[in-house]
Amino acid sequence: MSLKHDIEFTLNGVKRRAAVRVDMSALDMLREVVGLTGTKYGCGEGECGACTILVDGLSLNSCLMFAVDCHGRDVVTIEGLAADSKADALRAAFTEHGAVQCGFCTPGMVMQASHLLATQPDADAETIKRGIEGNLCRCTGYKKIVDAIASVNSAEKQGATP
Amino acid sequence: MTEIEQYVAPSSLEQAAEYLRSGEVTVLAGGTDLMPQSQGGRLKIKRTLMNIHRIAELKGIAIDGGAMRIGALATITEIMRSELVKKHFPILVEACDHFASDQIRNAATLGGNVCNASPAGDMLVPLLVLDAEVELASKPNGSLTRRRLPLTEFFVGPGKTRRGPAELLAGLCIPLPPARHYARFFKFGTRPALDISTIAIGIAGTLNNGALSSVRVAFGAVAPVPMRAPRTEQALEGKRLDLATIDAVADTARDEVTPIDDIRATAWYRKELIHNMTKRMLAHVAQT
Amino acid sequence: MNVREKKARFIPPDTLIGKRIPKMDAPEKASGKTRYIHDIDLPGQLYGKILRSERVHARIKSIDTSAAKALPGVHVVITAADIVNQRPIGVAKDHLPLKTDRVRSLRDEVAAVAAESERIAMEALKLIKVEYEDLPILTDPAEAIKPGATLIHPEPHQPGGEDALKPSGPVAFTGKPDNIAMRFDYCHGDVVQAEAGSDVVVEDTFKLHYVTHCCMGVSGMIADFDSSGNLLMYSNTQVPFLHKREFAEYLNMDPARIRIIQPSIGGGFGSKLDIYPFEVICVFLARAAKRPVKLVFTREEEFISSPTRQPVLLTLRSGCNKDGTLTFRTVHTLHDNGAYTSWGATTPFVMMQTFSSLYRVPNCDYHTVAVYTNNPYAGSFRGYGNLQATFAVEAHMDKMAEAIGMGPLAFRLKNAHDEGEISGQGMDFKSCGFKDCLTVAAERSDFVRKHAENVKNRNAPGPIKRGVGIASMLHVGGGAKIYPSDGCGTILKLDDFAQVTLITGASEIGQGSETVLSQLVCEELGLPMSALTVINNDTAITPWDVGVHASRTTFIAGNSALGAARLAKAKILAAAAKKFDCPAEELDLRGGCVIKAATGEVLIDLPRLMRNLHFSDKAELVMTTFYYEPPSSHQDKDYKGNVSAAYAWGSQVVEIELDTETGIVKMTKVTAAHDVGRVLNRLGIEGQVEGGVVMGQGYALTESLIVENGVTRNPNFRDYKLVTAPEIPEMDIAFIESMDGEGPQGAKGVGEAPAICVAAATANAIYNATGVRICGLPFTPERVYRALHGKGEKLYLEKAEKAA
Repeated sequence: MSLKHDIEFTLNGVKRRAAVRVDMSALDMLREVVGLTGTKYGCGEGECGACTILVDGLSLNSCLMFAVDCHGRDVVTIEGLAADSKADALRAAFTEHGAVQCGFCTPGMVMQASHLLATQPDADAETIKRGIEGNLCRCTGYKKIVDAIASVNSAEKQGATP
Repeated sequence: MTEIEQYVAPSSLEQAAEYLRSGEVTVLAGGTDLMPQSQGGRLKIKRTLMNIHRIAELKGIAIDGGAMRIGALATITEIMRSELVKKHFPILVEACDHFASDQIRNAATLGGNVCNASPAGDMLVPLLVLDAEVELASKPNGSLTRRRLPLTEFFVGPGKTRRGPAELLAGLCIPLPPARHYARFFKFGTRPALDISTIAIGIAGTLNNGALSSVRVAFGAVAPVPMRAPRTEQALEGKRLDLATIDAVADTARDEVTPIDDIRATAWYRKELIHNMTKRMLAHVAQT
Repeated sequence: MNVREKKARFIPPDTLIGKRIPKMDAPEKASGKTRYIHDIDLPGQLYGKILRSERVHARIKSIDTSAAKALPGVHVVITAADIVNQRPIGVAKDHLPLKTDRVRSLRDEVAAVAAESERIAMEALKLIKVEYEDLPILTDPAEAIKPGATLIHPEPHQPGGEDALKPSGPVAFTGKPDNIAMRFDYCHGDVVQAEAGSDVVVEDTFKLHYVTHCCMGVSGMIADFDSSGNLLMYSNTQVPFLHKREFAEYLNMDPARIRIIQPSIGGGFGSKLDIYPFEVICVFLARAAKRPVKLVFTREEEFISSPTRQPVLLTLRSGCNKDGTLTFRTVHTLHDNGAYTSWGATTPFVMMQTFSSLYRVPNCDYHTVAVYTNNPYAGSFRGYGNLQATFAVEAHMDKMAEAIGMGPLAFRLKNAHDEGEISGQGMDFKSCGFKDCLTVAAERSDFVRKHAENVKNRNAPGPIKRGVGIASMLHVGGGAKIYPSDGCGTILKLDDFAQVTLITGASEIGQGSETVLSQLVCEELGLPMSALTVINNDTAITPWDVGVHASRTTFIAGNSALGAARLAKAKILAAAAKKFDCPAEELDLRGGCVIKAATGEVLIDLPRLMRNLHFSDKAELVMTTFYYEPPSSHQDKDYKGNVSAAYAWGSQVVEIELDTETGIVKMTKVTAAHDVGRVLNRLGIEGQVEGGVVMGQGYALTESLIVENGVTRNPNFRDYKLVTAPEIPEMDIAFIESMDGEGPQGAKGVGEAPAICVAAATANAIYNATGVRICGLPFTPERVYRALHGKGEKLYLEKAEKAA
């Protein structure tokens, strides 16, 4: 029998509770306990970034985080971002620039990109590439992903409404 | 799988030390090493899982007296972005930049990296050449005490440190560098980050008239622990960095390290890299 | 209202072809709403897990599942003993899903569990006790081929061919006298005579290594029997119709009672072309438990158990004359077949195409021996043997050019095919942009000047050396007729609102096939992309297609969709002609309307015409079907014939910076020119090329699945290095539009092409920078450093293997 623990946290803007096994990862909690499947299992070891979420505004690998550590914190997943109009520009850019092929890495990429744009709004292509170095993609070769993210940056600089 | 019986999240160092006294405690900080090791079956979490995230005394980066104190819970990102660290210890910023990925840097703690004691630990090599000390807290006789230990004495073997089972790493203390201090870090890799070191080199000292004195040299991933290199330091100490000296130091460095063959590289190649990259780093020092 | 009283409206001509069209499912994927196999749960489902072998090569003495069965939450635990008439799977039918008397590799499946949760299933695995008796391990095909070597697939041990664990069941493989799994022998011309008459002869042995697909979504499957015993599988197969038939055979079922639904896939790249044990085992579990079973790999399991690219040890002898004409190629390859035979064993089909027909070579002799070992087996992987073959061919193109003092570009141009030529293997190059690929790639990268400059700088001071290398590739671009049919079916339906449903047999594996097929149909029917819905993922609904492989989908599924669209257009225009009393040839479809072709004047919008058709006394719906079979032929027993309806070329120039003090090779730029017939979706095709180039970069520089003594030493992303974003080169991509006569709108296939010659060009770039030729992959810093310091690996292929 594994020890369970009750946590209370904010998920995508809504306060909620969850009962989680103490050794459970935040990724497993999101997918199995909460039932949100947008955050993906890619490797379970923090090497691929498919499980990227935002916690208190910071991007991190949910597969490396203990679910119990979500207690009292502000968690945002791709589903939360989908409802965010500021992220609309980013998602639209991914579509327009051909940054999506099989799409499996895309939720993690979009999460990481949104964090990158929030913390380094002046990021150029080289900085963007460093910014997504923890997100693996096997289909696109990254170029169009970088183009998509850079386009949101420059659009904002030109004062275009996201 | 784990058989955890108790999960605690103390909010003070005193409370944490109290829990540790009872033994059988696994400490959870960032979790970036603990989670994969536990899920992969390489580590069994003990009866009590203790989350130390709420402990204020373990956070923060500050100057205190003639030293910088970095709390054990300082994340790699916090260290990288700290104005104080950028000002006094750019070598640490350099090491942070090569550390894993943004997502991991946002969660991984300095304390975790130090206690994990990987022979290839990215932060450990620069901390060694900066003469860092660890601060360990415990409550052996009912009251909270702290002791300091030079980092050079902290590592015992791969994954093994001198931290006692009832001790918690509270922070690191790094003496502020003197004038004309030079410190550089090199990590070999084909990627800027997200790479376990094949080799890493740290060189520090006081630079005067083209010579380094009070030299510190450390190597990573070429021995069971991240190591200081006394013979290499001796070969370097106070000597003018002309080509002959640089060659001699590089040769000494190659002989001093004891790497192994593993899937990342052979021992021979690691020695070649130590030689060539020490030489290259010293050539840069000479031009400074 | 009288139509004539309305002001006339005109629609100017426009086209979707060549435009940048966003992928239709991208918005869903970017919102995290797309459900992959991992995200699908069926009510009442159980979770399956597989117990794999603990030994590399051993007899199974006993399996005790009692403790596992007793664990609360466990529904069934199965071994081979529980399966009545288990049938072998795979290309050579030498592979039982659940192993009986022995294990031959570490990925071998010994038992399986279905339980209430994944955790419980994994706990149960730990409780299964297997007793093994070790057998000698063979991990070098050169050793395994020797007489007297332990047989990997020997005669059965019981008298009468019985299975040790299941006395009444058949044994998969009745045994062979040696470990040779397959042989391939091909020849055109006379290489002996040709060699005798050659001015230059060069020979090298090349070693091509294990890499693996690393799809970002791990393998998984859900199997569900309904109450009538019909089987539904949620599967990421790339060949659903072939699999339907094969599963029926393996499960002894009527194929009509099997249905496959394909959820969105997290990457394919050829990894899902064969049936693998886990899939059949998932069905066994569902059958035994009488509940749906979901079986998903961990990433570690994915590395250990998924098929790899075919590793090849290859000796090539090439010759040419002083004037630069190629004279012959003689090839011997030794393939590590692994413990069981999957598609990797058939890579020689493609390899011989490259050796016989990449550049004009009048004489060619090709031999492959594939040998069983206790290593992981190889499957099909983007390029399918062509990366390996091209690596060797292009090394020798540079070598021979240097030997006769001709520039590497000039030498290649001299031997490049022209349109209309037929290769030595009988491939008919009806459209061919080969020479344009070479010249465009070379010009855009300033190849000739840089190449010469780098040679001069080889001995210049400083540790950083620049290098530039060129290589080309040839691959099928119009399907590959290796199955009885290479065709694809389409059903097209227009509703009362002129919304189109395109039902195609062609699967989508991330490459954007649904978007390009929609584009072709919309172009034909003059509709916007928003008018189209694609259904492509259910064998109960979609017409037959052989599958996604051989870069065939744009060409063949495209022609199929076009065929159906043209029939629909004819029907619509015939109805409009009647209505407006004019010949159908004077009408066209554009901008969602029927127009007068000559002027663009709108006669009626399509939705209105559709409703007229439907609700008239004729009551016609517009539904059309079309099955397209490409005009290629099956190869004869000598492997000769025009196996594809079209062929595609590409040339790539790779630029590197090499640090001689560390061996690090940085790929700074790739200039690619690809003959694609015609660019359809510019956004999509760029994405394919960029992704393929970076996959090729990984093959060349960073990726290596390290298998030692049958053990995979780096089954994780920490030590299996995929290329990350900061490492990608600058990419300059040009498309050569040779307008293939058979291709849809002139297009040819490109899915595999961009990955194929990157490593070959990189090898040539390293030579250009340093004067050192490295014949093994990948070009890790240590390999390069060793080669520069005279400590490179000595490669050779034993004469014994060649003579066999």
